[in-house]
Amino acid sequence: MRLEIDGQPVEVEPGATILEAAQAAGRYVPTLCFDDRMAPFGACRVCMVSMEGGAAPVAACTTLCRDDMKVQTEEATARRIAAATVELVLSELPEPPAEHTELATVARYFKIGEPRWQGERRRPAHDRRHPYLALQHELCISCGRCVRACDEVQGAFALTATGRGFHSGITAGLDSGFVDSTCVSCGACADTCPTDAITEHSLLELASEYTGEEGGTP
Amino acid sequence: MNSRFDATTTTTCGYCGVGCRLDAHRVGGRIMSISPALDGPANKGHTCVKGRFAHQFTRSRDRLTAPLVRESGGFRLASWEEAIDRIADAFGRIKAEHGPDAIAGLASSRATNEDCYVMQRMMRAAVGTHNIDNCSRVCHSPTSWALRRSFGMSGATGSFDDIEAADVGLIIGANPTQGHPVVGARIKQAAIKGLKLITADPRRIELADYGQLHLGIRPGTNAALLNGLAHVVIRDGLVNESFVAERTEGYDAVAELVEAYTPEAVEEITSVPAADLVAAAHLYARSERGSILWGLGVTEHRYGSECVRLICNLALLTGNVGRPGAALLPLRGQNNVQGSSDHGALPDTFTDYRHVSDEEVASSFEARWGVTMKREPGMKIPEMFDAAVEGRLRAMFIFGEDVAQTDPNTEHVVHALESLDFLVCQDIFENETTKFADVILPASSFLEKTGTFTNAERRVQLVQAANDPPGAAKTDFEILTTVSRALGHEMGYDTPSDVMDEIAELTPRYAGISHARIGRRGLQWPVAPDGTDTPILYEREFELPGGRAQFAALPYKPPGDQADEEFPLILVTGRRLEHYNAGTMTRRTGNLTLMSSDSLEVHPDDAAALGVQDGETVTLRSRRGQVQLPVQITPRIEPGHVFTAFHFPEVRTNLLIGPSADVNTSCPEYKVVAVAVEPAGDRVGEPVGAGAATA
Repeated sequence: MRLEIDGQPVEVEPGATILEAAQAAGRYVPTLCFDDRMAPFGACRVCMVSMEGGAAPVAACTTLCRDDMKVQTEEATARRIAAATVELVLSELPEPPAEHTELATVARYFKIGEPRWQGERRRPAHDRRHPYLALQHELCISCGRCVRACDEVQGAFALTATGRGFHSGITAGLDSGFVDSTCVSCGACADTCPTDAITEHSLLELASEYTGEEGGTP
Repeated sequence: MNSRFDATTTTTCGYCGVGCRLDAHRVGGRIMSISPALDGPANKGHTCVKGRFAHQFTRSRDRLTAPLVRESGGFRLASWEEAIDRIADAFGRIKAEHGPDAIAGLASSRATNEDCYVMQRMMRAAVGTHNIDNCSRVCHSPTSWALRRSFGMSGATGSFDDIEAADVGLIIGANPTQGHPVVGARIKQAAIKGLKLITADPRRIELADYGQLHLGIRPGTNAALLNGLAHVVIRDGLVNESFVAERTEGYDAVAELVEAYTPEAVEEITSVPAADLVAAAHLYARSERGSILWGLGVTEHRYGSECVRLICNLALLTGNVGRPGAALLPLRGQNNVQGSSDHGALPDTFTDYRHVSDEEVASSFEARWGVTMKREPGMKIPEMFDAAVEGRLRAMFIFGEDVAQTDPNTEHVVHALESLDFLVCQDIFENETTKFADVILPASSFLEKTGTFTNAERRVQLVQAANDPPGAAKTDFEILTTVSRALGHEMGYDTPSDVMDEIAELTPRYAGISHARIGRRGLQWPVAPDGTDTPILYEREFELPGGRAQFAALPYKPPGDQADEEFPLILVTGRRLEHYNAGTMTRRTGNLTLMSSDSLEVHPDDAAALGVQDGETVTLRSRRGQVQLPVQITPRIEPGHVFTAFHFPEVRTNLLIGPSADVNTSCPEYKVVAVAVEPAGDRVGEPVGAGAATA
């Protein structure tokens, strides 16, 4: 089927999403909860776009293309909704996200500096029991990517969303940490995490200029 | 986005045969992190605990960083010149006194295609012998042997993408979620989405929980099971008649042979309930697209090679080959088991399994290398050890293989190594085998070299150096070409890419392969001169005379070892998720924290009969030797059987394994060993066997 993205004609297979069409047209649409290794989730509301004649902006990752659709990826209302959502997410974090993270990339795209909303911020809570995986709960934005990667890419079903509102986050097993859960240490969660809420110890060491050898014969 | 890193190199994983594409991120001289390449055709943006995390071994303080030579009972550091002079002198002397066939080489299924090709050229052209083999001998040589005879070529008939395309999958003698984790995850996801799985294994593997049917088979009875499945397919009119008529030969003999394999008779032999056998046969034969996957639980048996032919029979009977979703996929154990054999590191064949007696082929290599060669094959690995003990073999060059840890009948192997006049080991760590070396050459890990690996899909993929070898260690390419030069044979390559160009020039099925053309997606051989590759083999015809596949009428024969009064249980050995083979790599990483020791899996009924508790240390004794390890009681193993892995040198599992081997390929029978289990009692911690814990 044929449609237009920002005035540019693009042809896609039936069943394609607006996000896929935009990517085919070479247009950048910011995302946070999206990862093409998993089914679209539509939770973060960052990929909002507008359609000509549409009642309201829609999430590009979960909206299917229709013939002759005309999509604007940078329409003002859609952009304001998405930017406000990202700003709210940032307002909860104890510090700005690390430069290399997807969250930082999206924040740069929307040109969000210090959030307008000041108030309670999440407090650092770290779990470093696993030999490779580091969990930094305060950075979790509840996008669900790690949980879905664990379910849909690996199939270990080790991660679960827990808590409510300000206290929501993810946990491995029954709060047992990775090692004592059904985790198989594949690292898919760390690979998909857009904020470093789950990352590797070795990457956290980057800041401390780690050198030296390790891991000799036990 | 990854500005944190000095460099990111896309390469191919050096652990199992799945062939995951990895992005290795370097900061300074250190690989800081590894993530999956999102466009990897086999891994599709995923990897496992080994590929992603277990890279610390590359910077272990145990790495060999300079050549070592033997001196007064120990080793001392040496220059490359001295080490290579010693090799040239010793090989020259032994060749002069005993002839070139008194020297043998082992290439490595861990190394690149180019390394293996250079190694076999060195043995054939520089030394002058066909005594070259590689460690696929002890894992998938039966698969290669059988696929060539049934279909014509030695490789999977399809790709891992056939897993998602299939509607029924039969997994025999493999535990993919542990042994091949990324393919295991793909199978599991496909099963969740509707792929109907049948698993056959003495252990209730994880994927059995996602399947329709689990056949808890007695080890060593695969042939009876496979003939039983064929019996039901024929009996119940499920044969794909047109496929059999148009594309195969030998059906009548199979039909006659399997008549006796009634489900009831098969239940007697295999302990698989007759009704389950019938259901499995119907499920597979009625599928639109049925695929079969197998591992070493099929091959590492006395009749392993014959069982692979029986797997081929089943696919031929139902026409489940040569179409999307209808594939035969052997799960290759090591990263380059496929490629090391494809590239001629075998005693009887040059590249692409062309026999050394083939005049046209042999003379093409002779012309290219400027040498003359014998037309008779050299020795296989087990024959090398026998010859060493008998004094016919005087020297060995062992590259990237710890035979004293991983080969069966360990005491015999050690005796063979002790009997040699001269042993060269080329490796990244000292190991059980290097203890017997005269010269040890420090080599490179997969993250420090360039070349190609061929995965279990016949996919040739680029390996690119993400880091430099440590200290004075060198790439295997540089070492082997230098040794060859010192032996008087200049190969004339500047880079591994030149090696692949020579392979393509001398091997019609590789005609279109070059490093430049492989790119990020890899190429699945055969590759036409224009670069067109072959994801699915045999779409129109088989690579045998008349284009027809060959059925094989082969009866069940009992395994080489049987349980008896003294050794009442059957030991099965295999792999664990966290560790890899001899463990030399993974035990030097955080994976050791995830799994720090091994255990013996015992069924609750057997544990009760033996009077052993969970966690209790027991002595595991076979006709060959004994080891001690703690018990783990689990209902996942069939009663009458016990299971352990082989990753820990302190549990030298292979001490227990006897000389029984596949009748056609000499692949050892690792999977069936009669054992006795008894509480270790007061003897806990006492050294046992020839090679008690040393690490």
